[in-house]
Amino acid sequence: MCYLCKEYGDPEVAGGVWYLNPKNYARNMYKLRQPGQGFAEPGLYLEGGRRGGPGLPELLAALEKGDQAEYDHIRKTMHTNTFSGGGSQVVPLKDADKVLELCSPIALIACICRNAVRAIDERNELEYTCMGMGVGMLKWERWPERYKGGVKFVNIDEAKDWNHEMDRRGFVHLLMLFGAPYIGGFCQCDYPDCQALRNAVDFGIGTLKSHYVAVVDYDVCNGCGICAQRCQWGALKFEVTSEKANIDQFKCYGCGLCETGCPRTAIKLVERKGLPAVAEVWT
Amino acid sequence: MTYPASGRKFPRITIDMEKCTVPFLCKRCLQACPTAVFNVRRIIAKEERLKEMDPRIDGNYVLSAPRTDKCTACNKCIEVCPVAALKIEVP
Repeated sequence: MCYLCKEYGDPEVAGGVWYLNPKNYARNMYKLRQPGQGFAEPGLYLEGGRRGGPGLPELLAALEKGDQAEYDHIRKTMHTNTFSGGGSQVVPLKDADKVLELCSPIALIACICRNAVRAIDERNELEYTCMGMGVGMLKWERWPERYKGGVKFVNIDEAKDWNHEMDRRGFVHLLMLFGAPYIGGFCQCDYPDCQALRNAVDFGIGTLKSHYVAVVDYDVCNGCGICAQRCQWGALKFEVTSEKANIDQFKCYGCGLCETGCPRTAIKLVERKGLPAVAEVWT
Repeated sequence: MTYPASGRKFPRITIDMEKCTVPFLCKRCLQACPTAVFNVRRIIAKEERLKEMDPRIDGNYVLSAPRTDKCTACNKCIEVCPVAALKIEVP
């Protein structure tokens, strides 16, 4: 079971999946910042999970030193620290629809990672590539720098349509925690521009895999290769020998991009717990 | 998933802050880098934290190169830099 479900899931609600538990969207989940406590700066996210502990510079130093034990220790510390005030989990499109029905308000906003990594300035609703959620969005005007072009509040159907369009374009949906279990946004991520996804792929830090893994039905797959273009995790490739898609379920984050992109529905997301050896592989 | 601690020394990227003054406006290196090594963020004083920062004003934004583990020293950033503020050393 993923640790968020252990903490915040209800076995009697939605099969115990934490993000489908309406309690986790209650207003009192929103945590006011304590006096003296800093707030997230654009770019600081690159340091993933510093929060008083080690950060990216220490991690890279351990890599350069060639000290595997120290590197693994820093990695795990950063992972744990990330979830003390942030962190994320991959959610496939079909579950994303259910999340959007539970959460209010929903607003389209500029992506903070693309801003920091590629200096991309998203200034209007046609450019926005991120989704802010929950009551925290109502005070967006307090951060003119963060929300330069304003924000665009949308209703549930508009939010779903937008999410489906982002999925079609090839973005992964990451449910962002702003102090678990408060859900603050639905990031639309790709490698290497999204820092949460990148920290997950490069170091296994800060993002939990989804409750699913993708499997290929070899009788249906015709080897068109479209799915291979959509995998952001390096988990899916075109297997030349069999001329079909091949998925490494240990690398698969269960985002479902390959499933939604497959023209022949040859790829299916199955429950992670259905494959005992990967059932507890969350990073 | 992650890579093993191999002991490989990463390239050192130095940025001359005297020359690189408006990185968010310029953004050439940020967008040219194939492996997205760079990062740009606003520099703000505490009392200014709620203000929108104009990227055209010198020093409002600062460039850094945090992900040197992904730098291949291809020098594409140096080629596009209009003020010659970047230097890469490969140990």
